[in-house]
Amino acid sequence: MGRKNGGQETPRPASAAVVVLVLYVTDSGPNSIRAIANLEAICEEHLNGNFRLEIIDVLEYPLRALADGIVVTPSLAKVSPAPASRVVGNLSDKSGVLRALGING
Amino acid sequence: MESAGPSPHPSSSGTSAERGFKKAILRLVKDGPERLAIEAGQIDAIIDPTNGNCILLPAAQRALIEHKVGFRSLIGLAFDWYWQQDEQYRFVSHRGAADEASGFGRDELIGKALWDLAIDNMSEADWQSHRQQLEWRIAYRDLEVRCRDATGRVRHLSISGEPLFDERDAFTGYRGIMRDVTQRKQTQAGLSGDPVGVARAILDALDTAIGVLDQDGILLSSNQAWRSMGTAQQGIGVGAEDGADYLALCEAGGGHIDGVAVAAGIRQVIAGARERFHYDYSRGTGLKRRWFELRITGVVPDAAARAVVSCADITERRRGEQLLVLEYAVVRCLADAEDAAQGLKSVIRMVCESQGWDCGRYFCADRSAGVLRFHESWGLPLAAVEQFLEKSRGMAFKADAGLKGRVYQSGQPLWVLGGTQNADARRDARGARDAGVSSLALAPETGLGGTFIFPVTSQDGIAGVLVFSGCGVCEPDDRMLGTVQVIGAHLGEFLQRRRALDALRKSNARFRVLNELASDWYWEQDTDFRFTEIVGCSAFGNAKFLGMTHWDLPNVVPAEAGWAEHKSQLDARWSFCDFEFATVDADGRQFHYSISGEPIYDDAGTFMGYCGTGLDITKRKRAEIALRESEARLRARAGLSAD
Repeated sequence: MGRKNGGQETPRPASAAVVVLVLYVTDSGPNSIRAIANLEAICEEHLNGNFRLEIIDVLEYPLRALADGIVVTPSLAKVSPAPASRVVGNLSDKSGVLRALGING
Repeated sequence: MESAGPSPHPSSSGTSAERGFKKAILRLVKDGPERLAIEAGQIDAIIDPTNGNCILLPAAQRALIEHKVGFRSLIGLAFDWYWQQDEQYRFVSHRGAADEASGFGRDELIGKALWDLAIDNMSEADWQSHRQQLEWRIAYRDLEVRCRDATGRVRHLSISGEPLFDERDAFTGYRGIMRDVTQRKQTQAGLSGDPVGVARAILDALDTAIGVLDQDGILLSSNQAWRSMGTAQQGIGVGAEDGADYLALCEAGGGHIDGVAVAAGIRQVIAGARERFHYDYSRGTGLKRRWFELRITGVVPDAAARAVVSCADITERRRGEQLLVLEYAVVRCLADAEDAAQGLKSVIRMVCESQGWDCGRYFCADRSAGVLRFHESWGLPLAAVEQFLEKSRGMAFKADAGLKGRVYQSGQPLWVLGGTQNADARRDARGARDAGVSSLALAPETGLGGTFIFPVTSQDGIAGVLVFSGCGVCEPDDRMLGTVQVIGAHLGEFLQRRRALDALRKSNARFRVLNELASDWYWEQDTDFRFTEIVGCSAFGNAKFLGMTHWDLPNVVPAEAGWAEHKSQLDARWSFCDFEFATVDADGRQFHYSISGEPIYDDAGTFMGYCGTGLDITKRKRAEIALRESEARLRARAGLSAD
């Protein structure tokens, strides 16, 4: 899985606060693939396009991961709105993910 | 997209080495969600905080290895090499499935840019354009270059590439694929470089003889089939060599072929007066006869070649058409035949004339006697043929013996090649081989030359066999066998229908005879009981009585009241028997008649009228009257005597 810039822009309505997410993955690792799929499903169901997701492949950008304090992959970091939060693992625990993102599921 | 479930617990899976590895990496993470996630098997890699190295867990390692293997496999299928260049467009990586054998090893490319290679088909402008693409960081596809490989061979390469950027969007170089398209290029060059050679190869591959003429009718070129046909002496001028005057050869053709007309037609095509000219002809006779189709097609006037002559052997097609015409002719002739004999003779004649055979005979199956009896024949008006047919009259062959018996029993056609064929053919003839006799001995059965026997079939089975003889008999092909099967079926159906009609005719005749013996006349009436037909009656046979009822007949006795009971019988649609009535002539003499009748209904059960017979009983009645009168007189005398 190669990503040029690790970013993925998504459309959003003008009025709502945008949820900024960064997902750290490891190329085509099985848990990374699963995490991407789970996160896309959650965002589609609960965020209504009101989010910005960046996917970082730590094999290609290890320094970025280190700088952001990422220890394991896959890891999901919510950058905004505050408070920032982090979830590790393949995001199969949907309720845990929603709790971490501060979304009422 | 459905969320995937949690991975199975990691401590229960993997080898001991993997478990040891996992313990080691767990030391890198503190307690907390990371550790729990590792133990739950939901983590692919750990980033060493000391140096930023990414440590893959075993499952992720395996997945990545499989992914790369699969990717490489696809690369190998899709192209020959994968390459990478640095930001100065120098090759830094070059991997391919055929690295060693390709002549493009790493040494030839690594450290060099594309324009550093010995590429000889790119001009300065081409390179400038390519460099501009690279400066603009544009992906490019199928850039075809020609160069020499390490062994000195010319190679054609197709190169595609896309730019690479790092995480800071800084340009880091290009990567792409390369394909060896040398073979395709050589094939294209071969086709485009020698059009004449390709055209000649195509012409020589054709079965049709092709010759090309110039404006004077001189043969410019011809194909292999043309030369072969000339060797076999089959074409009109076909076989003439390049440079020969084809028109002169046509005019000198001779025989039954109108060479002058052919040459005239070709001249018209060459002059542009007509686009095409077509002439069909045949050569040879009997078994060796073959049909050909000559086509002349005009070529564009500006070329040296002005007409193309093609000559094709259409013998198979023509024979097929002949057999189809024969089938239709047989059907038509049977439909027009007045009786069985005429139909049989016509069919035998048609088959003989169509196939060039001398004569044909039909042997009818007599099942009760177990023989095949001669029934009908036709032959050419030749003494030998007539003699042969005459000898056949009255012949009967056992239905289970001989060639005819074999055909009758098996229902399959059979042929015996005649004395005009070579000795091997005679030995191979089915009848001769299996019967253990020479064809000469079979002559009484086979006749002159060869013999072809096939069955005549109907719904009741095999009705008989048709036997054709002549020097023109040869081994039939599948089409011929199909045709004789059709002819045999049509003839069998015709004969069966004729037999049924004859039987019906005879039955009707017998009925009439019986009727004439048992009655004086036959009558029919309509639904109003009026006569529509009276046959055989001198008293009521006059047409003036048609349209009358019995009780309307002139001077009829009894009167109206006497007919009441009879009428009630008729109204009830009853049959009646021996109803008596009389007529009185001008002299007062009575004539007595007895009629019997029964109602007639059509197929739908609708009452149509009555039919019956009538008998003149006048003599009987008068005799009865005379007897009664005599009896009365005797009684009277006896009474007087008693007194």
